[in-house]
Amino acid sequence: MSAGDLLAILQGAVVTVTLSLIGILIGLPIGLALAVLRWADVPVIAPVVKVYVSILRATPLVTLLLLLFFALPNIGIAIGPVSAAILALVMNTAAFNCEVWRAALMNFPKDQYEAAQSVGMNASLRFRRIVLPQIVRVSLPGLVNEMSLLIKVTPVLAVVGVVDITRAAVRIGAETYDPLPPFLIAVALYAPIVFVLVSLQRWIERRQVMAEAAA
Amino acid sequence: MIRDFGIVWSERDLLLSGLANTTILSVLSAAAALLLGFVLTPTLMSKQRWLGFLARGFVDGMRCVPFLLFAYIVYYGLPSLGVRLDNWTSGLVALTIYNAAYMAEILRGAWAAQPREPIEAGVAFGFSNVGLFRRIVLPPLLLAAGPVMGNQMIQIVKDSAFLTIIALPELTHAASSIQSRHYVPFAAFITAVFLYWGLCLVIEAGVGSIDRLAAARR
Amino acid sequence: MTDSRKVLDVAGVSKRFGPLEVLSDISFEVAKGETVCVLGPSGSGKSTLLRCINWLERPDAGQIYLNGVEIGVTGGGLVMTDRELSRIRTRIGMVFQHFALWPHLTVLQNLMEAPVQVQKRPRAEVRDEALALLAKVGLSDKRDVFPAKLSGGQKQRVGIARALAIRPDLLLFDEPTSALDPELVGEVLVVMRELAREGMTMVVVTHEMGFARDAATRILFLDRGRVVEMSSPDQFFSNPESERARQFIQRYAGNVANARLAVTSK
Repeated sequence: MSAGDLLAILQGAVVTVTLSLIGILIGLPIGLALAVLRWADVPVIAPVVKVYVSILRATPLVTLLLLLFFALPNIGIAIGPVSAAILALVMNTAAFNCEVWRAALMNFPKDQYEAAQSVGMNASLRFRRIVLPQIVRVSLPGLVNEMSLLIKVTPVLAVVGVVDITRAAVRIGAETYDPLPPFLIAVALYAPIVFVLVSLQRWIERRQVMAEAAA
Repeated sequence: MIRDFGIVWSERDLLLSGLANTTILSVLSAAAALLLGFVLTPTLMSKQRWLGFLARGFVDGMRCVPFLLFAYIVYYGLPSLGVRLDNWTSGLVALTIYNAAYMAEILRGAWAAQPREPIEAGVAFGFSNVGLFRRIVLPPLLLAAGPVMGNQMIQIVKDSAFLTIIALPELTHAASSIQSRHYVPFAAFITAVFLYWGLCLVIEAGVGSIDRLAAARR
Repeated sequence: MTDSRKVLDVAGVSKRFGPLEVLSDISFEVAKGETVCVLGPSGSGKSTLLRCINWLERPDAGQIYLNGVEIGVTGGGLVMTDRELSRIRTRIGMVFQHFALWPHLTVLQNLMEAPVQVQKRPRAEVRDEALALLAKVGLSDKRDVFPAKLSGGQKQRVGIARALAIRPDLLLFDEPTSALDPELVGEVLVVMRELAREGMTMVVVTHEMGFARDAATRILFLDRGRVVEMSSPDQFFSNPESERARQFIQRYAGNVANARLAVTSK
């Protein structure tokens, strides 16, 4: 394995991180929107969201990705591997994040909400100033957990040809007939990223526990 | 579109065999992972520091590695070390070892949350060893860990789909095969999606009944 | 009411936790039918002593004999295995401060579990006896209920019935009412008084001075891991020998309600 190979894998790492970030940045607010739609029990839409989330959470990412990559062009929507990858990641992330947000919303103390109503705040203010800041705090560990899970499913993008860490490693392995070293390098790249996220999650949880204990 | 589904229907044997493979693979590896977890968890909490350290390293390591990469390593990488497994065995081994780490962590968490006194009562009343474990320790542990293990089971089903990359004839592979031969991607994959969904609903129903058992005792 | 047969013989038992010597050279005997109440300030080692009797804690020194058979050490001088210990433990019943009922089993199943699984007695016979015991503690209607649904006092009465179900030679009570709300204490003490009256051999660690005064045949007063005084309840409460006992009684005796408020959990 040469330095050029190593560089190729590192470039794959950039792709992995970039696509993950895009998936997270778009998926997070969409997940929130889905959770709010279910929480507010909007007629017609809420049950649709429920079914959508249920199906998405049960669907393997690789199946979803293959579906998008092959089926969309078939019904007239042209889509390349990167776009299909981003779309799959976003759909997946949104569904999982929805459940995290929803748990926070469901457990939101009713009396705080009623207090906001009693001082005359409208729905938008109530949500923006009272509900949102607190559910962000409560959801944070779960969301960071989902981020670490997201990183761990990004290798699926290799299946449609996106050159992330895994595809780079596989290619080098196939070329050099020595798959183990590039794979191990790949592990060495994924592991720290996931480890940082998991440590971040534990740190957030610890801080929240301490804040609650002090209260 | 109807015609496409008609084609998928004509290939239902392949899809069902893929579903069967997915189910069997998931159930086998879940059971094996759980058993391994029972071995691993006490090791995690072992008084011997080096043993606990090794176990912790394994568990944390597995949780930092993407499963797809791990499956690649087991199937393509092990031959370099002289271990050549076929794709079924590779898939089973990869799924089992990977999820054993998660099961161990789940069991550890459930164990830590268990009150000690009822177990001590078991000892005081003359229960020991296997009897103590089977009748006093295990039932409340499984009831408490049930929902989380159910989620892990769903995760295993989804991870099994990754094994399509090593040409294991599970459900996604079957759908891909139908797609590539008949050019019916939407019908093929949507059917697969709904089959996965069905499988997960069955698992969730199972978890639901465990949860009901637990709730009655709470 | 008591006969001369020794059920329990504790000889020179000591126990330390790290640098702290929790029990020092404890010796006493319990004859059949006696009710021995172990009293003492927090930290005096009362619970540890109780837990040493059935080797839930392992004594560092001394011997403990149940009906003449040594607990914890075999005839050959080796430390007993878990299995050997369990054979002895099945002769000793224990009632725990926090009830320790098995949450996955109903009340009736809790009572039947040890007799059937450990003592291998026939199910039908165990069931009949268990139902009778439930009636005795006044909880017949709760037999198919899970412990989580019971009040503290009910849980403890089940705990007592469960200990009785194994037909023990000796009953150990580890602060049985300390975790109960005041108004629930009475229902448990009633059961315990009745057991004492019927001639059950009991060792009770408690803060309930009223119970100790009325139901005990002997008081064992522990302070800082040593037996400071051992006498009849009358003598202990009205004319204690030691200064420590005197201080203890002054703080706790008399108003039982005050005593309960003054006691913090161990």
